[in-house]
Amino acid sequence: MNVKKTLGILLALLTVAVLYAVFFLVPPAEGLGYYVRIAFFHIPMAWVSVLAFLLSAWWGAMYLRRRDMRFDALSARSAKLGFLFVLLATGSGAVFSKLTWGAYWNWDPRQTTIFVLLLIYGAYLTLRAAMGEARLRARASAVYALFSFLTVPFLVFILPRLYFSLHPSPVINGSGSIDMDTSMLLTLLASLADGTLLYAFLMAEGKKEPRKEETP
Amino acid sequence: MGKITFQDVGQSFQGRSIFSHRNDVVEGGCITAVCGANGSGKSTFLRLAAHLLLPTEGHVSVREAGEELRREALFRRLSLVTPEMRLYPRLSARENLDFFLGLRGVRLTDEDYEALLARVGLRGSELRDTWAGAYSTGMCQRLKLACLFASGAAFWLLDEPGANLDAEGSAMVLREARRAAERGCVVLLATNDPREEAAADEVISMA
Amino acid sequence: MKSSPWHDVRLVFLKEMKSALRFRAAWAAMLMFALTTLACVSLAVQGGALSPRLLAALYWTVLFFASMAGIDRVFEAEDSSGTLLALRVYGSADAVLFGKLLYTFSLLLALAIPLTLAFLLLMDVTVAEPLLLLLLVLLGCFGLAAAGTLVAALGLGASVRGSLAPILLMPLMLPIFLPAIFVTAGAFGGEAASLSFLLGMGLYDAVLTVGASVLFPYLWYAD
Repeated sequence: MNVKKTLGILLALLTVAVLYAVFFLVPPAEGLGYYVRIAFFHIPMAWVSVLAFLLSAWWGAMYLRRRDMRFDALSARSAKLGFLFVLLATGSGAVFSKLTWGAYWNWDPRQTTIFVLLLIYGAYLTLRAAMGEARLRARASAVYALFSFLTVPFLVFILPRLYFSLHPSPVINGSGSIDMDTSMLLTLLASLADGTLLYAFLMAEGKKEPRKEETP
Repeated sequence: MGKITFQDVGQSFQGRSIFSHRNDVVEGGCITAVCGANGSGKSTFLRLAAHLLLPTEGHVSVREAGEELRREALFRRLSLVTPEMRLYPRLSARENLDFFLGLRGVRLTDEDYEALLARVGLRGSELRDTWAGAYSTGMCQRLKLACLFASGAAFWLLDEPGANLDAEGSAMVLREARRAAERGCVVLLATNDPREEAAADEVISMA
Repeated sequence: MKSSPWHDVRLVFLKEMKSALRFRAAWAAMLMFALTTLACVSLAVQGGALSPRLLAALYWTVLFFASMAGIDRVFEAEDSSGTLLALRVYGSADAVLFGKLLYTFSLLLALAIPLTLAFLLLMDVTVAEPLLLLLLVLLGCFGLAAAGTLVAALGLGASVRGSLAPILLMPLMLPIFLPAIFVTAGAFGGEAASLSFLLGMGLYDAVLTVGASVLFPYLWYAD
């Protein structure tokens, strides 16, 4: 498939570029030293896990509208990928947390948010696994994905007010000013793009197995 | 007047096909019977007509005065009686009827209630305050029919209506069905009973 | 003649209430779970002091899990007694959702009252701000009723093995339970938490309710 090949090549190139930048170009960060390199893995993973959830919910809505099982397949695939990404994000975040602040987990707002996302993914996949009938499963999954999406604005905006955050004064916070070294910023954006490409590639890869019977 | 149209409808469960490529029209103003052996899909046909189920292929449209009815608008005009249907076991007959008919905007006075019971061959004195969970299947069937008759529905869908009823009860059902058809309702019966099949004006046969 | 939508909601609500009052299993399990759990914890702690925040967390945890027995039954009871079909034919999505939501809310409040009393007694808690606690319980139970009614309907028509309600509800309830725990800790005499959390909870409850009313028809109707 032409699209997939192009994606694959782009992905390979970009990944190499990002890795080079992370290990050779980016200077050590203020107070974090070389540990900041984990962030270039962790942040894209976290970003993609939210993106995958968003798309899963979107395709779920499309299923409810059009009743085309292909939307359900997309929704399910996105959720499965998202689950992998959220596990990687949580894991890398925990490692980063241990290395920099001494504890793997401290329930600061961002960790709580990623944890809730992990729970939502887990619940969604459990729901799918429990339902045998394809169309009922598609419907229930779509409704749950959409319903659980309602939590997102609350987690992202309200929870952070709950308590003091250990997360580094987030540079992508919406506090306006981007307080980062240019090369770091560019590398970060590149790694985000890389993560997104990876997601797109894996989604396209999934379409290769259309005759897979009734995988929940 | 109403009309139910099946366009190239197919239904399968868990990969097993019940029927396919059905094109049927159920018109108002007459009694239509759906007949066939057990497992041929009569009940499924009825459920598809009632939009309780979406067909695996094709489309079932229910129209009244040319407009297609869906969801709430459809159910407001439709009523169904099937053997699996149950009334609320911890409510009395009166409470059950008040509940279901209330949702249709029908309020029964005491006289209405007694008259309705008489219409389906029940006596208020038998039922007085006992809970529906204790009723025989025959009594339940009559009450379900009472709900249907009083609901003011334009689409009557009946699955084996004479089951659990004695000869007098079956005759009552056919009488009421005929009256409804004469009023212009769409009356669809799924049945194995030769008498019910004979009473129908149109017969749809499931292969 | 189309009657007001509240008329239908009221009909469903009253039907639920009548059935529940005549059938102890509808609520006994919830109550027993709550009391048993509390008794165990109280016994284990043996009069030792627990921090207000821990007490608050405990309170909401017990309330959440005790509610599951009630929420499980919302549609499952209809299905197993065979009444679901008739309800689908005669009841509109809005009437059924809101009727059952309000019933579940009442049920959860009815659970919360003895639970709270037992909690105060067994855990030896003094409530510094009873009205605040009441408000929290109202907001929390409402959110749980709204999300719970929708989640209970996810399995409609399918033969779902086991109860998924706790798993599915947990992430949905965190935006309510987390603030609730902090504010409850304040009500139990711990450090006071910002009252803007109450606004957040109320807002989330509203969002859940609107979300449920938009999504429920997709579960209730086949098309």
